[in-house]
Amino acid sequence: MPDRPPRLTRRRLLQAGGVGATVIALGVSAPAPATADPIGRDELFGLGVASGAPRHDQMVLWTRLAPEPLAEDGHGGMPLRPVPVRWEVATDRGFRDVVRRGHALAQPELAHSVHPRVEGLQPGTEYFYRFRVGRGTSPVGRFRTLPAPGETPASFAVGLVSCQAWYHGHFTAYRHLVAEDELDLVVFAGDYVYEYGITAANLWREGAEVGPAHAVEVETLEQYRLRYGLFKSDPHLQALHARVPAVVTWDDHEVQNNYVGRSSAYGLGDDLFAHRVAVAYRAFYENLPLDVDALPEGPAGDVTTGFDVGRLARFSVLDTRQFRDPVPADREEQHAPGRTMLGREQEQWVTDRLVGSPATWNVLAGGVVLTAVTEDRTDQWDGYPAARQRLLDAMGRSRNAVMLTGDIHRHVAAELRADFTRPAAGNVGVELICTSVASDGDGAPTDAYTPDWTQHEHVKLYDGRRGYVHVRFTPSEMRSTFVVVPWVRADDTAPRQVAARFVTPAGHPRLERV
Amino acid sequence: MSPRPPAVTGLRTEAAITRTTLSWRSLGFDPLIDHYRVHGEPGEHAGLDPRPDNLVGKTVYPRFLHQGLDPLGETWTYAVVAVSDAGEVGRPSAATRGRSAPSVVGTGIPVATIGSFDGRTLEHRFAPADYARIPTAHPDAVVEYVQGRDTPGQGWPYLLPGPGDAWAGRRAYTARWHLELPAAPAADHDLALWLVDTTRLGGTLEVSVNGTPLQAVRLAVGATRGSREGDATLPGSTLVRAYHELAVPAGRLRAGRNTVELVLADGGWVAWDAVGLFARR
Repeated sequence: MPDRPPRLTRRRLLQAGGVGATVIALGVSAPAPATADPIGRDELFGLGVASGAPRHDQMVLWTRLAPEPLAEDGHGGMPLRPVPVRWEVATDRGFRDVVRRGHALAQPELAHSVHPRVEGLQPGTEYFYRFRVGRGTSPVGRFRTLPAPGETPASFAVGLVSCQAWYHGHFTAYRHLVAEDELDLVVFAGDYVYEYGITAANLWREGAEVGPAHAVEVETLEQYRLRYGLFKSDPHLQALHARVPAVVTWDDHEVQNNYVGRSSAYGLGDDLFAHRVAVAYRAFYENLPLDVDALPEGPAGDVTTGFDVGRLARFSVLDTRQFRDPVPADREEQHAPGRTMLGREQEQWVTDRLVGSPATWNVLAGGVVLTAVTEDRTDQWDGYPAARQRLLDAMGRSRNAVMLTGDIHRHVAAELRADFTRPAAGNVGVELICTSVASDGDGAPTDAYTPDWTQHEHVKLYDGRRGYVHVRFTPSEMRSTFVVVPWVRADDTAPRQVAARFVTPAGHPRLERV
Repeated sequence: MSPRPPAVTGLRTEAAITRTTLSWRSLGFDPLIDHYRVHGEPGEHAGLDPRPDNLVGKTVYPRFLHQGLDPLGETWTYAVVAVSDAGEVGRPSAATRGRSAPSVVGTGIPVATIGSFDGRTLEHRFAPADYARIPTAHPDAVVEYVQGRDTPGQGWPYLLPGPGDAWAGRRAYTARWHLELPAAPAADHDLALWLVDTTRLGGTLEVSVNGTPLQAVRLAVGATRGSREGDATLPGSTLVRAYHELAVPAGRLRAGRNTVELVLADGGWVAWDAVGLFARR
């Protein structure tokens, strides 16, 4: 959660370079370089640019210098020394009106990533940004700051995405999401990368080839860095990041399939597994536009964050992986009243944000499905029914609760019952579950899992194709559009199709198909 | 810049069949260690200079399994270095020697075997991933394998399911191995049971010879991947191999037909590498 004291590694990194106070390292800020760095060239920006951690007057900018994103030592082809980076923010794409500029230091400790936080911006305003190293200039990114506190914007549009197994297909969904007329933010709901070895057996993205360094399960920091380098080399993903700010939570595959807290599901002791968690969390920070609060300390990370879109919407980004109780041994343990998904501190934090919110829409984003499906889906909230009930209770005490999740590689739209054991109790919100961008390849509208979901009256949509969800909030309604693409394996040319559209009227937590 | 990682200390080795486990003191998280590099050379040496050409492997953990060693046992000299998040390479540990334990597969004389002792399930029926056909092929949950008549590819499924396997009907499967001996052995023999992987449930494999219990083998927790992956020797494989070698007193064997019975009494499946009966030299 925010506002914790700085930790040891962060403090040391902040003091690096002999510059006092809280500047430098992390690429947050740096003194002006005396001369342009000789390595400067456009190819340094092989992983694109991004913005994130949006506020009404601030934004975090991101890039990671990597002229060779697939260099096997994970350092992107960069020399193992710090490199000064300049950044600029302007009100026009041509950068004639630069309103903010500064410097950050790209360090080898952080894989030459920088995360400067730009302050003093105007609310509800479109800006453009870019980075420079020597004579090299990055692609231009854009963002719009959030509306001023207390204001109610006419609308706010979000793209919801998850599960981008690069090797299973092309990121066609991003090509269409980038082209949406209205888009203010993208929410990545987990599985931004996958740890599995990439071999002929699972490399379904036609036209793609990878070397033997990618064929093994990711374990070391250099391997995680390389994996992000591979996935983030996709041009459609880079275009998406350049178009809108991103908020991100993780699920399991950013570390290892089905891990829980500090425990591997594959028989490795917790003391050993902590080392892998630490490098995986570090690589996550290095490769995403996160605030400095998200820089992990060893195996402890914090990706929870919250922000308000004026009075229209309040967003709370959850960590549904790190603080959860273990997989239950039996049904009695599964239904134990004290069982937790979020951990006590995070649960209190999100409860306070829900109950005390002045916003019309109260949006949560998490890594796993909240809706009740089957008892054996113990990796989802189905494995934590008492904790789910507590969260549903808190949602019921807020206005217009919306849960955004992914994980299952299927589009599902569901109404959240006040109590899933008593359907007559009514709804406390809705859940929009986003299919994968690429994981599981082409997919099909229905599959073997369909009956598990559609048996429930509260489930209003099931579709097993790839895609994204476009969500548009206004003071009177939330309009959710479930977009699919017919294929992803062959190429990135598949057309945009709409699987379903729903309207949720403000004050009426239900899904009306339109 | 992060400080250069300190030297690795506390390097020790632990012998097992076809592998030596190296472990050392964790260097913690500040600076964050990208990985440890394990260097080694065969034989006993007073020291070891880490070079790219003697790199045995990399690991993020303060532990490394040097696998695939000769079943007769191999001696190596090792040194470990740490690499930081900034790419800084620390000073090497003191050189340490380790010898893997000899296996009856290397020291004994094979009497009868099912499959190759090679870290792979691939020669067995339905390998590497067609496990769903096992309950259909063995509706009574019994596998009968007659030495000399059957072959691994035709008669020995790569998995033996257990009560923890819903897909196989949650039953304790039995594998019966029938083999002929020309005469009653005068000396003790050894039964080698090599596994490529087990499940996260672990389990118990009850072994009997000619109708009399020999030993209940406790199975360690595995990676639960051997049902879909058949080669534990691939670089980076997370399959958890296991080696169980049981002494079979001479009096338990007889001339003519003998039957070794393997019952997975509890837990989830085992993925076979190979099974063999060996005479001692």
